[in-house]
Amino acid sequence: MSVAELEARAVELEAPSGLWRDAWRRLRGNPGAIVGFVLVGLFVLVALLAPVLAPYDPREQLGLSNAFDGPSTSHLLGLDGLARDELSRILYGARFSLLVGIVSVAVGLSIGLLLGAVAGYLGGFVDSLIMRAMDVMLSIPGFLMAIGIVALLGPGLFEIMVAVGVTQIPIFARLLRGSVLAQRENDFVLAARSVGVPRRTILAAHILPNAISPVIVQGTLALATAIIDVAGLGFLGLGPQDPSTPEWGTMLADVNRYFQTGPHLAIAPGVAIVLSVLGFNLIGDGLREALDPKLRGR
Amino acid sequence: MLRFVVRRLLLLVPILIGLSILVFLWIRALPGGPAQALLGERSTPEAVAQIEHQYGLDKPIPVQYWRFVKKSAQFDFGDSTTTRRPVIEELGQRFPATVELAAAAMLFSVLLGIPLGFIAAKRYGTAIDHASLVASLLGVSVPIFFLAILLKYFFAVELGLLPTVGRLSVLIDVEHPTNFYVLDAILSANIEALWDTLKHLVLPAIALGSIPLAIIARITRAAVLDIQNEDYVRTARAKGLAPGIVDRRHVLRNAMLPVTTIIGLQVGLLLSGAVLTEKVFAWPGMGSWLVDAIQDRNFPVLQGGILFLALVFVLVNLLVDLSYAVLNPRIRLS
Amino acid sequence: MGRQRLRLVAVLGTLVLALAAAGCGGDDDGGSGGGEAKGGGTLVFGTSADPVVLDGSLVSDGESLRVIDQIFETLISLKPGTTELEPALAESWEISDDGLQYTFKLREGVKFHDGEPFNAEAVCTNFDRWYNFKGSFQNSSASYYWQTVFGGFKTPEEGSPEDSFYKSCEATDENTAVLNLTKPSSSILGALSLTAFAIASPKALEEFGADEGKVDEEGIFQPTGSFGTEHPVGTGPFKFESWTRGDRLTIARNDDYWGDKATLEKVIFRPIDDNAARLQALQSGEIQGYDLVEPQDVKTIEGDDKLQVLDRPAFNVGYVGFNQKMKPLDDIKVRQAIAYGLNRKEVVDEFYGGRGEVAKEFMPPEVTGYADDVTEYEFDPEKSKELLREAGLTPPVKIEFWYPSDVSRPYMPDPKRNFEAFSASLKEAGFQIVPKTAPWSPDYLGAVDEGKAQVYLLGWTGDFGDPDNFVGTFFQTPQKAWGFDNKEIFDKLNEAEAETDLDAREGLYQEANKLIMDFLPGVPYVHTKPALAFQADVQGYEPSPVSLESFATVTLGGDGEEG
Repeated sequence: MSVAELEARAVELEAPSGLWRDAWRRLRGNPGAIVGFVLVGLFVLVALLAPVLAPYDPREQLGLSNAFDGPSTSHLLGLDGLARDELSRILYGARFSLLVGIVSVAVGLSIGLLLGAVAGYLGGFVDSLIMRAMDVMLSIPGFLMAIGIVALLGPGLFEIMVAVGVTQIPIFARLLRGSVLAQRENDFVLAARSVGVPRRTILAAHILPNAISPVIVQGTLALATAIIDVAGLGFLGLGPQDPSTPEWGTMLADVNRYFQTGPHLAIAPGVAIVLSVLGFNLIGDGLREALDPKLRGR
Repeated sequence: MLRFVVRRLLLLVPILIGLSILVFLWIRALPGGPAQALLGERSTPEAVAQIEHQYGLDKPIPVQYWRFVKKSAQFDFGDSTTTRRPVIEELGQRFPATVELAAAAMLFSVLLGIPLGFIAAKRYGTAIDHASLVASLLGVSVPIFFLAILLKYFFAVELGLLPTVGRLSVLIDVEHPTNFYVLDAILSANIEALWDTLKHLVLPAIALGSIPLAIIARITRAAVLDIQNEDYVRTARAKGLAPGIVDRRHVLRNAMLPVTTIIGLQVGLLLSGAVLTEKVFAWPGMGSWLVDAIQDRNFPVLQGGILFLALVFVLVNLLVDLSYAVLNPRIRLS
Repeated sequence: MGRQRLRLVAVLGTLVLALAAAGCGGDDDGGSGGGEAKGGGTLVFGTSADPVVLDGSLVSDGESLRVIDQIFETLISLKPGTTELEPALAESWEISDDGLQYTFKLREGVKFHDGEPFNAEAVCTNFDRWYNFKGSFQNSSASYYWQTVFGGFKTPEEGSPEDSFYKSCEATDENTAVLNLTKPSSSILGALSLTAFAIASPKALEEFGADEGKVDEEGIFQPTGSFGTEHPVGTGPFKFESWTRGDRLTIARNDDYWGDKATLEKVIFRPIDDNAARLQALQSGEIQGYDLVEPQDVKTIEGDDKLQVLDRPAFNVGYVGFNQKMKPLDDIKVRQAIAYGLNRKEVVDEFYGGRGEVAKEFMPPEVTGYADDVTEYEFDPEKSKELLREAGLTPPVKIEFWYPSDVSRPYMPDPKRNFEAFSASLKEAGFQIVPKTAPWSPDYLGAVDEGKAQVYLLGWTGDFGDPDNFVGTFFQTPQKAWGFDNKEIFDKLNEAEAETDLDAREGLYQEANKLIMDFLPGVPYVHTKPALAFQADVQGYEPSPVSLESFATVTLGGDGEEG
């Protein structure tokens, strides 16, 4: 990174409102991001309006002898293995998948940010301790760690969200620590410190707001990862306690077993997951580009 | 340089100690134990006590931990509770299987990802750029097991082009001195075995490679964009060097630097993905081994396997840092 | 390992069960050696896992037994496809009047795969070996069958059973072995057909250190021999050839076999742990057969004219268990309400691929003591609600309903689905279901065994062809899983077990079954026939109720021309 760039970044960070306005402008010019917003918008809309949109109760079994029936005019996506309307389950599933994503990321983000901020701001022994702990966590493949945590807590929707969230802690902690370290030596922080502003206030009022943009990018991408990881756990049989929960990952859990009996049941939740995850990835990617000062002005 | 390596190696020690304690406590906190898992429906308190005594699980945890540390320092991780074989021996088979799969996946993603990223960067802002970006993002958006099942179903079951499971057809006999089947086939000069084992690799490698493919494509794109605007590239162009030569000599070569780094950083991701890929393709590697071990409460396998994996992981990261330093003389290792 | 398919065929008197009638052809000849051998060939069989070791005395999991059964033989065997005893390595036997002495006349001219002669000496070496097991060989996860049938060992380790039925084995001449017991046991003769009591070559046992091991610094015995992993030597129709773990295990035809020689040249066992993957491997031709076919796949396989499905006779029961310690299940009216509220017929008809029948009681109809006239509970949600009100409760009544998350058993191929269907019908019947789940082993089984589960899905695959192995294991003593203490039932079952007169015994078990179904400790719902799948050209495989199946009679290349 050249000196000029460093300066440019510092200037931008001092003027966040400009940064954001600028980012938004560039985000709008990025067709990928637009597609992302459309997909996520649809996803959220479906989640909110599921009861209005769904033609059937997603948990109601409509006669077991009809199980695995393919798509028809009365059931656009067919019936699942327990003769429930697949379309209604997909629509309601948006709620759970959104919930799963948000809660997992909230867990990882809040703990990760706290640890990262503390490590970055206090430095010294606390910093090493926290960061070594993060190193330990990072040395275990994330998905394997999630499986391990679910084994410890037992299966369940909440337990899965916690497990996936925990695996994201070190990423956020590292990210924020890096940002805080970079900010700590900034002029405006040094200025604030020299006029005797308390440490906590400096951290909360000056450092964090400026360190947050990479966190937003990472958060969006983490939402995508969380939804995928939960689906993966479901595939290994570690799903919610109530198997009638219309959660996309859980609905995919038996994809392998029933692929030849009812292939339509694999396609629908699979496509739903891919589209929503793609949406978050597109937005995250667009944000990254929009907020990256190096790419400005191109 | 040497100092850097030594320092990094020393840093490994606290990580490994921390990790071993974490893993050890985690295993002991799991509900049930290997005895219950082994006995299943027949488990009685007496039978459980008998087996726990056998594995030394009735001793205090610090004693167990010390015993574990002492033994693993000599690379003795004990015997698997389910197969009754030494963990180290199973590791010797499982690890090469996963490495081979991961390497094939990486090869696939590099061969496809770099051109994809390069083209996207050359056509920055055009439809091609956006399309390739979206396509590469699709790669990270598909649950890996879902992709694996679709691939397997269409190419292996429906079309019958490729095998559905395993690493080698059972009707082919070949020695396995290294347990890297591709290597084994080459060493024994068995063309048929080589062809067969390569066929077995295709689908799992594509499924597992989908994520690094997307990441490599994006990093390449970003790196090429960066370097294109560097002074030396502009100079090269200005003095009338053919665009193809500029691209090859300057742009691509320098863009490889961040790409190399990112390849190393994919190791963790590949191992995570391997868990699911191995499950779908019945690939006898580390991922499925460890997941089964969690389910069976196979303490020795968990202890040895996870520790080994973490060690490899950390060492690979070290190698990445080193190679980065070697490739980029501007970086000083302090 | 979870996937045990035990096959302890204790014979308490006649085990000439109605099993022969229960499907599986019942032809006279068993098709063995039918016609000339069709050119050998290699058969690849998909298994769910690698064997543990190829030493019958140290395993009880189905995948180990499957391979060991091809390499080793027992003194007494079972007629293919039945649980009837027939001579094998022993041509005949006599039991002394006091029941303490078993004299076996051995088959002559039999040789082990290593060329050693099979004789009385060899038989006694094997029995003495089992009796002298030490260290981890005494774990009940290893020598389970010895401990169940013969009890303890010569020098019991901490926690091992103290007493043993086994006294000694004498080779009175080259071909006569005498087994002496400390006390009579009616189950030993039948049990000798178990793979656990297969005879191995004494020379190989010695040479490859079957019982060798080192005692580590902790004082724990660690086996080191290679008998069970690289050199299993028996007398069977196939010889061990090679084993690459996780990849393949190969056995080859024994051309010096004493009986009808196998037609196949080789059988390769290939571990593929995922069921769907096994099906796909069969469809793509990578394997020629596999076991434990799931019901939903039966239709797919039957619809493919290159493939075929074989049935194994039903020998199991799936049930919904109640823990009466947890209110309101202590009230018989509530238990009845659940029984009337379970739509069992629908579940069995829809989920078992035509291979299940609705269960009335806790044992399959083929087992002696089955009562035809027990109280039955047809699905009737209105009656359930009425019963709940009579019990002083207002629907919906909340109950915790448990199911295992990740297992497939013959009696419940997809527990989650059974759970969901039952939940829906119970809701209709005035219950509110709180779903509970855990991975099968050890979590789920642990929760049930420790009495933490209120209502739960479970089942049992018979390892004895005897009523005691079904209702006896469930209801003879108080158990936390059931949480009740009903002296009448306990007494009746104890009386039945002790009764030596076969007719009286049958009557007592029938009475017990009636008592049980009135008391309703749980609701049995299914007996199912497990299925195997093969390529259509694989002929001569004979499914057995206790999974004792030989590849020696199998031929390749024959096509559909059977009577």
